Amino acid sequence: MGEPGPLELLNQLEGILESDPLIDEIGFIHPSQFAALNEDIGTPSTSVGSVPKSSFETIFWARDHKLGISTRVLFPLYVAAKNAFVDAYKSYKVHRSIYNERDDKNASTCPSSSPLRLESELMKHSRALLLLSSDFGSAWNSRKLVLSKKQSLSMFMNELIFSAAVLSHSPKSEQTWSQRRWVIKMIAGNCSNLQEIMERESELVKKLAERSKMNYRAWNHRCWLVSYMSGEQVLQEFDKSRHWAVLHVADNSCFHYRARLMLRLFEESQHNKDRDASFDPELHELLKEEFNWVEKLIKRYVGREALWLHRRFLLTCWIRYFACGDDDRSLPSNQRNIKTVDIDMLIDNELELFRSCTNVPDSDFEDHKAQATFAATYMMWLKKQLSMTLSIDIQKLETSRLKSVLTNAYPEKSFLWNSLLELCEST
Amino acid sequence: MGELMVEKHVKYILAVEKRKDDFESVVMEHLRLNGAYWGLTTLDIMGKLAAVEQDEVISWVMQCQHESGGFGGNIGHDPHVPCTFLFDLCITSMNSAAMLAFTHFPILTSQNKKHGQTSIKSTHHKRWHSRHWQCVLLRNLGVAVVSLTFQPDIAALQNEDGSFSGDIWGEVDARFSYIAILSLALMHQLDKVDVGKAVKYILSCKNVDGGFGCTPGAESHAGQIFCCVAALAITGSLHHVCYSWWVLSSLIMIDRVHWIDKGKLVKFILDCQDKENGGISDRPDDAVDVFHTYFGVAGLSLLEYPGMKPIDPAYALPVDVVNRVILGR
Repeated sequence: MGEPGPLELLNQLEGILESDPLIDEIGFIHPSQFAALNEDIGTPSTSVGSVPKSSFETIFWARDHKLGISTRVLFPLYVAAKNAFVDAYKSYKVHRSIYNERDDKNASTCPSSSPLRLESELMKHSRALLLLSSDFGSAWNSRKLVLSKKQSLSMFMNELIFSAAVLSHSPKSEQTWSQRRWVIKMIAGNCSNLQEIMERESELVKKLAERSKMNYRAWNHRCWLVSYMSGEQVLQEFDKSRHWAVLHVADNSCFHYRARLMLRLFEESQHNKDRDASFDPELHELLKEEFNWVEKLIKRYVGREALWLHRRFLLTCWIRYFACGDDDRSLPSNQRNIKTVDIDMLIDNELELFRSCTNVPDSDFEDHKAQATFAATYMMWLKKQLSMTLSIDIQKLETSRLKSVLTNAYPEKSFLWNSLLELCEST
Repeated sequence: MGELMVEKHVKYILAVEKRKDDFESVVMEHLRLNGAYWGLTTLDIMGKLAAVEQDEVISWVMQCQHESGGFGGNIGHDPHVPCTFLFDLCITSMNSAAMLAFTHFPILTSQNKKHGQTSIKSTHHKRWHSRHWQCVLLRNLGVAVVSLTFQPDIAALQNEDGSFSGDIWGEVDARFSYIAILSLALMHQLDKVDVGKAVKYILSCKNVDGGFGCTPGAESHAGQIFCCVAALAITGSLHHVCYSWWVLSSLIMIDRVHWIDKGKLVKFILDCQDKENGGISDRPDDAVDVFHTYFGVAGLSLLEYPGMKPIDPAYALPVDVVNRVILGR
């Protein structure tokens, strides 16, 4: 029994993709894994062309919308898919330019079957190629050409399904995420279930982020979605992502996502209301809760920088949306505008946090040293921030104290600490 | 401490170039132009550029050009700003007279149309001469949205907010701003876009943690920080003391402050070498690749490791090349 050739492999793969457009997960599997997979649940597979069905049993594995491809055939399969794609793209572009020219003169002279066939060939081959090489940008572009010409909602939706399958194997593929954004931009104006799509997108990121740590592109995509969400959805996302953040306190991305959601809420609130009465008790409460929550996390999970960075963000929110200027501060606290946060109390709170995070008797542990460093650089940042935005000088915080904390933790970095403190003092 | 295995790395880079017979190498083929830039620059820094057959590289690179004028990552691939930029870098780092003429071509055409003709073989040859120099610039920037319609309107390369798109499909990213600015700077054409707006856009990508993201409000990323800071440096916007604040804070953020200790960093890079077969990896004992080989050698150059040509941190090209092209020395 002969080994199938490259073209037969490609035909077989494309046949499988054609027969199941709902494939949601793909993987490249080592030949030795096939036996175990087939043992589990019998042997499915359909035969294509002259190659007997059994030849493919150790090459492709498809079931329950999952597709496995043997690593043994990746190279010939890729070469065949790429060649087929390049030819199809070429023919399509040639045809398109002829078609466009004719279209100007007389649209009816163009036969309708041929462009359809070229389009479907291009979609078929680019699909096979992208499963194997997810960042092949030209292949994604060719699909954009066809999709933007067709303007069919169901085709756009299928593109979301297909690119999700690609992401299941390459969760950090920039081109694939970009394709999804392009599709969403195309359908955003004229689809009735955009909110539902946003929810699914957000879920997809969550799912993939669990499988691939530190996935900047996935989270960047989720942040991008925020501007398409409804106000209600933003609040839901804010609630839902809290749990994930607690389970991944070292991952900055989720905290950044929460920051993005909060900013959207603040923007909306400012937009909807008269600026003078911008105090929004709900937002005030939300910010306060987040602020206290992060403080708890900082104390519980020692030495996690993402938490400190999130606190910086929250503090800028206090300053930007709720802090008062010098005029208000001169009033006794009971006469101050309700929207203002008591800056003195805030500063005291942060000083207390700084003390509790730096007064660690046994600071030999790396986590505690990191915590002290983050606390000190945070205070350094806060000092500069307050002096720049509100002209407030935190007198209770001496730079010499910061310096001793930093050099105690990492004496070998004293050059850096000195430069930083110099920068901090020069305004 | 070991030493840099220069000869091994040369051998490794040349071998990687030729590798086309397994899945791992072909699946990266859309990045081949990136590979060429990494490989060529690494060789140049180590003073080994003569090891490559220049005519071969040039003729291959030229074939990556798209009919719209932009460059793709390999022959037959769609054009994209990063690839066009890589083309510029590849061409710029090559040392031959023909290449220099080519690099200077857009500049020369605006002053004097005699030069550079022999090095351009494609059918676009005529167009280079029939259109005025803006078209040349458009071709080199590779932003197809303009070059497809051939409106010689430089401002259209840029979006209203000062950002740049990567191609006709409109994805925006601060990295494209860096690339556009660098490509323009290499061609002495920075005054043809709204630099003020471009800088403003880049600054709008800054976050409270001191880093930069790919769009305003996007999470900070070390790669983005490099692109944004370098773009600011090239446009002369990096004069304020707060920028050094950001840079230092960025270093803290990515926890690489100890890298400021030059000796430690040199040792770290040398430990990442494959001492048998050449090449450098992302960390000791990982698999090597040409990307990290470039970063390792470029890093050693920045750290003034003996025998390395100095590299310009913003242009990501050897200083002598930058001097030759930007300053005309």
